[in-house]
Amino acid sequence: MGLVESGKLPKPLAKLLNISRKYSIWAYQWGLACCAIEMGAAFASPRYDVMRLGVIPFPASPRQADLVVIAGTVTDKLAPAVVRLYEQMPDPKYVISMGSCANCGGPYWDSYSVTKGVDQLIPVDVYVPGCPPRPEALLEGIILLQERIAHEDMAERWKGEPIVVG
Amino acid sequence: MTAVSDPQSVAALAAEAVDNRVNLDFETEGMTLNMGPQHPATHGTLRIIARLDGEQVISAEPMCGYMHRGYEKLTEVRTYPQINALINRIDWLGSFANEVPFILAAEKLMDVEAPPRAQWIRTILFEMSRIANISLFLGDFGLQLGGMTAGFYAFRDREWVLNQIESATGGRFHPNFDRIGGLKDDLPKGWIDSSHTAMDKLLAFCDELEDLLVGNEIFQARTRGIGVIPAETALSYGLSGANLRASGVDWDLRRDNCPPGLVYDKADWKVWTHPDGDCFARTWVRLQETREAAKIVKQLLDTIPSGPVMAKVPRIIKVPEGEAYVATENPLGEMGYYVVSKGDLVPFRVKIRSASFNNISIVPWVARGAYVPDLISILGSLYFILGDIDR
Amino acid sequence: MRTWPSVGRVSQLSSADTETPEAAAPQIDEAREAVLAEVTARLGEGVVGSHIRPGDDLWIRVDRANWVAAAEAAKAMGYRFFDFLSAIDWLPSPFGRDMDSQEDRIVSGAPAKEPEAMVQGYAGGETRFQLLARVYSITAGMGITFKCDLPDDDLTAGTWSNVYAGANWHEREAREMFGFSFDGHPNMINLYLPADFVGHPLRKDFPLLARRVRPWPGIVDVEPMPGVADEEGEGE
Repeated sequence: MGLVESGKLPKPLAKLLNISRKYSIWAYQWGLACCAIEMGAAFASPRYDVMRLGVIPFPASPRQADLVVIAGTVTDKLAPAVVRLYEQMPDPKYVISMGSCANCGGPYWDSYSVTKGVDQLIPVDVYVPGCPPRPEALLEGIILLQERIAHEDMAERWKGEPIVVG
Repeated sequence: MTAVSDPQSVAALAAEAVDNRVNLDFETEGMTLNMGPQHPATHGTLRIIARLDGEQVISAEPMCGYMHRGYEKLTEVRTYPQINALINRIDWLGSFANEVPFILAAEKLMDVEAPPRAQWIRTILFEMSRIANISLFLGDFGLQLGGMTAGFYAFRDREWVLNQIESATGGRFHPNFDRIGGLKDDLPKGWIDSSHTAMDKLLAFCDELEDLLVGNEIFQARTRGIGVIPAETALSYGLSGANLRASGVDWDLRRDNCPPGLVYDKADWKVWTHPDGDCFARTWVRLQETREAAKIVKQLLDTIPSGPVMAKVPRIIKVPEGEAYVATENPLGEMGYYVVSKGDLVPFRVKIRSASFNNISIVPWVARGAYVPDLISILGSLYFILGDIDR
Repeated sequence: MRTWPSVGRVSQLSSADTETPEAAAPQIDEAREAVLAEVTARLGEGVVGSHIRPGDDLWIRVDRANWVAAAEAAKAMGYRFFDFLSAIDWLPSPFGRDMDSQEDRIVSGAPAKEPEAMVQGYAGGETRFQLLARVYSITAGMGITFKCDLPDDDLTAGTWSNVYAGANWHEREAREMFGFSFDGHPNMINLYLPADFVGHPLRKDFPLLARRVRPWPGIVDVEPMPGVADEEGEGE
């Protein structure tokens, strides 16, 4: 992978790599609240069948995952665990924030214990709105993420510079 | 029917047996096991800190609060209709059932009664949300004990009920369909027929799951005789719902103290109990409850009266001064709202008595002396929803 | 079809077909009167207030010295099911519904709001904080709601957890939400909130800071629709 790190990857090869990355996303399910059930419906039920999109939804640990779906309310007490989980994932890593609570606090926007948006803690690639979003909406979010991966400059992504939030 | 003849002595005996099983005389170096806050076998983020002696649990302390969202404070700054939308999300699997006791408490204070048709539809949707909730439990409990198939079946057949709830209320998960004085809308055309079909599917699902899971030898080995809760202990911890009935206490708020506004007395159904009080009994009672719920729905569908679905209430809802506690038998157990009103647009104080909070507070008691894999059985069979514990 | 027992008011709101012109004569609920008499017999002077809503519910207020004795009496009377334990802060919120504090109003030029008088609910009360607990009898099919005044300068009470094991967690919750302490409680640590959380959220003078920064956008909900409010309801 020396070519990638030096940023001299030939374009067709980069495209090929991107396509293969795009269709082999290992998604870690971080189900927190109501959205977890809809995520379960999208990932584990025969009706929605996420695997046809090339997503493998059952990694045993975040250390094997490319994508984490933050599905549900993040509270201030839970926030350190979210950050730790994100730090455990290997680069390149992607985050989908699912549902209003993870996006911005949602119905708990004025609560004393809820973090108003997971993007205060970790960088988010795709926001899926809804309370909770339907499984189809999550699948749409995954497709959007795949488009993003397909057009990504891997050299930029793999430089290893920290992503600054905000 | 109470299975325990002398509850006091049985509880004492059970506690003594547990103390004997934990071999405290044989000194081994203890180990602390941390489960969670993220664990595949929990819904949401419950964290359990277990102190182990070899394979046995000496103490298990659940750490809650990772999903504490402050409902009770938020209700003090929201109007009654807004609260209705908020409290859907406490027990997110049986959302409609969360609304009903709150609406009934507000109606009680306002002295309003929903028209008969609304009462019928409320009861039907209440039971449907019970099916949506418990069918996922049945699948998920199988998943936790290593039988993945059951989970897929549950997710597949649960969609039948969710479709019905969605076509009537517009919300797959959080209907927000109840109003003070009735319902938002009438049923859509053709809904009754399609509900009959859905209930038939669900009854078939129960049979399928009984063959697949409950009759399974491994499943029985992992649940029978595990996590026994005597009736008296269950009562003093405030366990309710199927957890209490599995300990042999024949008590169901739908039958015994049904608040006016729900029409369970118009259907012919049965309250199931089990004398054993173990994990298997809890699963079995829930399986029967799903069947009964489908039967209740099928009977009520045939007898829905005609008429309006909304009583005449003012557009701006001000609830008169007073205090009221209304509890209903929710999928997880007794859920009640203690509403204190000062005659304002917003309630003065709402105490939410959620079932899982009491149900899970028994974990330190029941997990003592259990083996580590049994901890999963116990937690799974007590069946909690994190939002219902932490609120 | 069962109907709610009348709360003592004549309803102006129910629809025509459900309206029942009930007699204004006060109903007597003998079963609950008997329960109240028995609790009074067991606790003597400890019962300082009570309220019965006939056919529906019973409230008993006891003094602080008899708080645990009330639980023991209830359990001995067959009230074995523990429902919940919590508290009520009767202080009228200094922020009001929109969470505007007095200072904010003065800064923006609005007249300062007169603080409302503190009014306790059923079974009376004398203090700002009141413990609230409910037990239920499965055989009798009735519940009792106990209340207990806690003086502001000493927010402690005895623990119920030796009588009803389920009270353990409820008291932990009441501790962090209101700042009480319970004598004899085995494990008095935070249940929900992080250990370094400042304040007691369910106290009425705990502000929701997000609301102070930006007022509730849904406030339009309670304004009457033009032209509709007059005919349909008691629009403000």
